[in-house]
Amino acid sequence: MDSSTASILVEVFFDTLGYWYIIIPTIFLGLIVGGIPGFSAANTIIILMPLTLALDLQSGLVFMISLYCAARMGAGIPAILVNIPGTAGAAATPLDGYPMAKQGKGQQALAISFVASCIGGLLTTMIALATMPILARVGFYMHSVEMIVVMLFGISLIASIAAQDMVKGLIAGFLGLMIGSIGTDVVYATPRGTFGFLELYDGVPLIPALVGLFAVSEAFVIIEKRVIVNHDEEPKTPNWHDTFEGVKIALKRWTHIVWTSIIGLVIGVIPGAGASIASFVAYQQSRSFSNTPEKYGYGHPEGLIAPEAANNGVTSGTLVPLLVLGIPGGATAAIMLVVMQFHGVSFGPSLFENQPKVGYGMFMAMAVSYVLMFLTILPLSRYMSHVTTIPTIYLAPMIISFTLVGGFVPREYMFDMYLALAFGVLGYIARRTGYHVAAILIGVILGPLLEKYFLWSLKKSDGDIMVLFSSTLGNILWVAFALSIILPIVFGMRRKRKLEVPAE
Amino acid sequence: MSSEHHKPPRQLGGELVIPILAVGFTVYFFSTIWNSPWTAQVSAFMVGGILILVCAIFFVRCAVWLSRGEASLGFGNLFTMDDIRSGRIGLLVSTVGYVLLIDRLGFTLTTFLFLALSMLILSKGKNAAFITMVSAAMALTGWAVFIWAFDTRFPRGWFETTMKAVLTNG
Repeated sequence: MDSSTASILVEVFFDTLGYWYIIIPTIFLGLIVGGIPGFSAANTIIILMPLTLALDLQSGLVFMISLYCAARMGAGIPAILVNIPGTAGAAATPLDGYPMAKQGKGQQALAISFVASCIGGLLTTMIALATMPILARVGFYMHSVEMIVVMLFGISLIASIAAQDMVKGLIAGFLGLMIGSIGTDVVYATPRGTFGFLELYDGVPLIPALVGLFAVSEAFVIIEKRVIVNHDEEPKTPNWHDTFEGVKIALKRWTHIVWTSIIGLVIGVIPGAGASIASFVAYQQSRSFSNTPEKYGYGHPEGLIAPEAANNGVTSGTLVPLLVLGIPGGATAAIMLVVMQFHGVSFGPSLFENQPKVGYGMFMAMAVSYVLMFLTILPLSRYMSHVTTIPTIYLAPMIISFTLVGGFVPREYMFDMYLALAFGVLGYIARRTGYHVAAILIGVILGPLLEKYFLWSLKKSDGDIMVLFSSTLGNILWVAFALSIILPIVFGMRRKRKLEVPAE
Repeated sequence: MSSEHHKPPRQLGGELVIPILAVGFTVYFFSTIWNSPWTAQVSAFMVGGILILVCAIFFVRCAVWLSRGEASLGFGNLFTMDDIRSGRIGLLVSTVGYVLLIDRLGFTLTTFLFLALSMLILSKGKNAAFITMVSAAMALTGWAVFIWAFDTRFPRGWFETTMKAVLTNG
């Protein structure tokens, strides 16, 4: 980085700080829309498009980027407090976040999540800025074969979730994959398993599945208790100590934040991959290489840090192909592209030569948003955690009504509300009879993507299955995948042996 | 040892619901792709085949437990009398009503009715005045944020139409 670039970066950073009056209100808006299933950052930017287009370019970009970052972080808040991920990108967050809330550590969990999100987001923004030319090429090397292995990294989480009862876990996971196959096939558009509903031709919509499996079913389960916090946990008055304790726990695991956020960054730069894949992959890798994998799923801080750092890593990753190549990495990036084109911004390497303040300004807006989010949201964890003490007789109906309507929002079909209710019943039966709803959801989210890449690979090779092992990068990823499955088993056996020695 | 002896048998009826649904759905899915191009079949046959295999393993396991007397076909882990006492069935009925009525009555009115009714069911009729106030406040907040401020296309009915006319004409 030469001195002129450095001086531009410093200038842009301070310029962006001057937009604090836009960033701070947008952060709160982002937390709200991110926290309600169905209201993603992309939807909100579309709704507020007239406002965004009326603003000058710099203000519009700052608004969109801070909304994007805040919505990503906001999706984790209900995931931790009431087991309802605001977006599919936060679907892995409740695996350990919600058990912490039930143990009366909701405030601590929120603080851990905020620190992991902010550091993960800030760090990956810096890395993306420094390595933009290299990262932009990742998208070129990731073809359908390589993407299959990336999907398998995420899907292998089903096996980890299934560890307690492998057969039931696999039934849940494969049922999810089967539900994910509903819709037309990607090559000839043949309708499959749609029960004759035209609304299912595009596949099972994710938000109604998410709302039903997590929110509606959870609402029917929590009414057994007076409040969400377990009866045997000491009722605690929220205090600053818990927030600081959460910050301390997260900072102690800074290396964990670093490597899981880098997973998010790399997955984020691949067009079409998204935060849900990144968070599942990060969670699975975090568990696989942990010294205490048995603690995952019971409120382990590392199980919360991994998905939150990764899904915030994705936010900076999606900007790279957008700015360098003009290829949006996700829905929100695609809308940003439209707004920037409206203002006459041209993409590609020339952007950083012709309008460096716009190119670098987007990354700086992200960095400033994360800094301001840390300062404004962290103190609020003390008050947000009160949600877990609201009596469930009031909380459960509110969850049901607002999330069911959230299921309606993305496509505006009444059918999606019925679908959310049907998934709610399925989720409730699953919870009561010991099947993991997260395993079903992983299948529903990743199943269609895996099938798409698998079919593309087979189509390109005229049905030759060996195409899966035909690329160097793909083979490296296959080896890494095999190692990620085998090594934790070897480490686990070693740990077991070590524990057995003193007993002998 | 004695505590194990007195342990009630595992209630398998509820646990069998999802595998039976899974097998039924997979068979139906296969029937829809039987004469389709291979691109529509390959992944579904692979995933569905494994699903049926895993379900079959579970059915065999259940049969073994049943034959040993370690389990019964009861539904105790899925439905109990507590579901009626706790208001869960009432909440389910009001949720179905909410989903069916929202398209006709609109978001605000249906949300208010649903919140008030389900909270009253869960609280067994206590604090009716407080519940009515909370429900009204929540429904109106939802209307103000989502419909008035953001203009999202939530289902609209009498209340939304009236408010729009009032706000437009003053």
